[in-house]
Amino acid sequence: MDARAIMTMEMDKGSSSQLRVSRKARILIYFTMILAAVIVLLPLIWLLFSSLKTQEELTRNVWSFPRKLYIQNYINAWTRGRMGTYMLNSLISTIVTIIGTIVTSVTLSFILARFNFKLNRLIFYIVIAGMMIPIHSAVIPLYIMHKDLNLQNNLIALGITYAAFRISPSVFILESFMRSIPKELEESAILDGCGIWRLFTTIIVPLSKDAIISIVILAVLACWNELLVSMLLISEPFIKTLPIGLMGFITEYNAEYTQLCAGLVVACLPSLLFYAILQEKIIKGMTVGALKG
Amino acid sequence: MEKLQKKWGTIVLFLLPGLILYTGWVLFPIVQGVILSTYRWVTISKKVFVGIENYIDIFNDKYFWISLKNTLWFMLGTGVFQITFGFILGYFLYLQLRAYRFFKTVYFMPTVLMTVAVGFIWGYIYSPAFGLLKPFMEAIGLGQYYFPPLADKRTALFFLIIAQAWHSCGIQIMLFHAGFMNMPEEVIEMASIDGASGWKMMYHMIIPLSWGVTKTVIILQLTGALRVFDLVFIMTGGGPNHATEVLPMYMFAQAFQKFKIGHGSVVAVVIFVLSMGLTAFLRKVMGSDDLQY
Repeated sequence: MDARAIMTMEMDKGSSSQLRVSRKARILIYFTMILAAVIVLLPLIWLLFSSLKTQEELTRNVWSFPRKLYIQNYINAWTRGRMGTYMLNSLISTIVTIIGTIVTSVTLSFILARFNFKLNRLIFYIVIAGMMIPIHSAVIPLYIMHKDLNLQNNLIALGITYAAFRISPSVFILESFMRSIPKELEESAILDGCGIWRLFTTIIVPLSKDAIISIVILAVLACWNELLVSMLLISEPFIKTLPIGLMGFITEYNAEYTQLCAGLVVACLPSLLFYAILQEKIIKGMTVGALKG
Repeated sequence: MEKLQKKWGTIVLFLLPGLILYTGWVLFPIVQGVILSTYRWVTISKKVFVGIENYIDIFNDKYFWISLKNTLWFMLGTGVFQITFGFILGYFLYLQLRAYRFFKTVYFMPTVLMTVAVGFIWGYIYSPAFGLLKPFMEAIGLGQYYFPPLADKRTALFFLIIAQAWHSCGIQIMLFHAGFMNMPEEVIEMASIDGASGWKMMYHMIIPLSWGVTKTVIILQLTGALRVFDLVFIMTGGGPNHATEVLPMYMFAQAFQKFKIGHGSVVAVVIFVLSMGLTAFLRKVMGSDDLQY
């Protein structure tokens, strides 16, 4: 399957599938699906409830609804936990990652997909081999490199590092997508006197929009959640990204459970919001990312 | 197109940003890591060349082998859980019974959550202080058997695997779902008309037709297990008594807790080699024709 095939694949066929499901099987299937949904949702609902209780109410009964919505937990978590600062920092590094990924991967994929030259395949395979490299096996040199270059506690440097590790999967998706754009389109554009730059901006980029959205979504999910690299490259309290900030907050107030739950809810909100808005695109992006890489 | 092929200047300009970033931030650190693995730090800034001594130290360290064993168990455990549930639930979604969209939305939700948050949430679920596990066991009358599972070295890894499966099973579900959706509809329809149903359908049609995706899921799952760090770091930090110390965690402990940069680099090299080797091996064994890496 190439990237375009997956990207344009029908995820919903509208009508129900061709397979007949007997009544008995139907009951069993629903039972399993509901059980699985409960297992997924229960921890999240419990977290939400706990975050709205007082400490004393929580220790009395874990199952109960919060009697009165105790918002103070959220106020505490937001101010003591410096969630706003951490989110802003994460946002900065994420934006740098997005820009970095687009600028490097889209251009690289364009050349590799549309031009023939001797080193083309060699470059392509070296670049996509990077998908097999876990970031863990590069963190020690990256840490030393950032220390030597005085780039520690620098959100832009962090974002650029993330972007570097997004190149391989992004090129893998984009290259195959761009390869499937029909040649005729660009042939006629070139006859009209269109140069490389215009070909790129007026034909290739607009036609690869879906794939570009996918690589951006994958990049956002990967860097927004990343812990190890940010932990090693960032140490100053006010520059911390959300994952390390959250970690610090929780170790600091480790006995005030309800407040910690509120902090966790707040920390999860941006991801859930992102998911709520872009659900189809995220699922599609992650599917193409996996099946293509 | 031939006209543009000759515009070398522009072509190189398009290649440069991607290649510079990739070489400088991905390839160079890997090479650098191999070099670092042959040095020993005498003081924080002075290092001496020691050849393969670090490798000998690591391969003689019993905790290295424990971490390798833990990684393999982790691989196997998450693999069994996620591939089984991914297949079953992906198949149920494919049947498109009423309300399947709701289930789809729910199942994928945990995968977008921050791993750090998931780690804390599951840590709390297991905790005796206010978690869900203890009251749940009490509710079903098994209260006296409760013990904090992450504190016991026989059970910690298993309960970590459950948390990981909860977090990332959605990806497998979606991949299988996409794979089933991509099966040739006519063939399924024919078989269905011919009277194939239930297990027969599953065995003769569904499994062979979706084998491409299944292979991908297995490869992704097994190689992905080499990269697990965040969850372990948050939930147990590798303990109790190294019972959950997977390779990246062991590397982190060597390099950044014991400050043996050279030893940590050896482990980084091992992770790199394992990741490359495992991917190549699995592709060969499974004859992965669906993916053109």
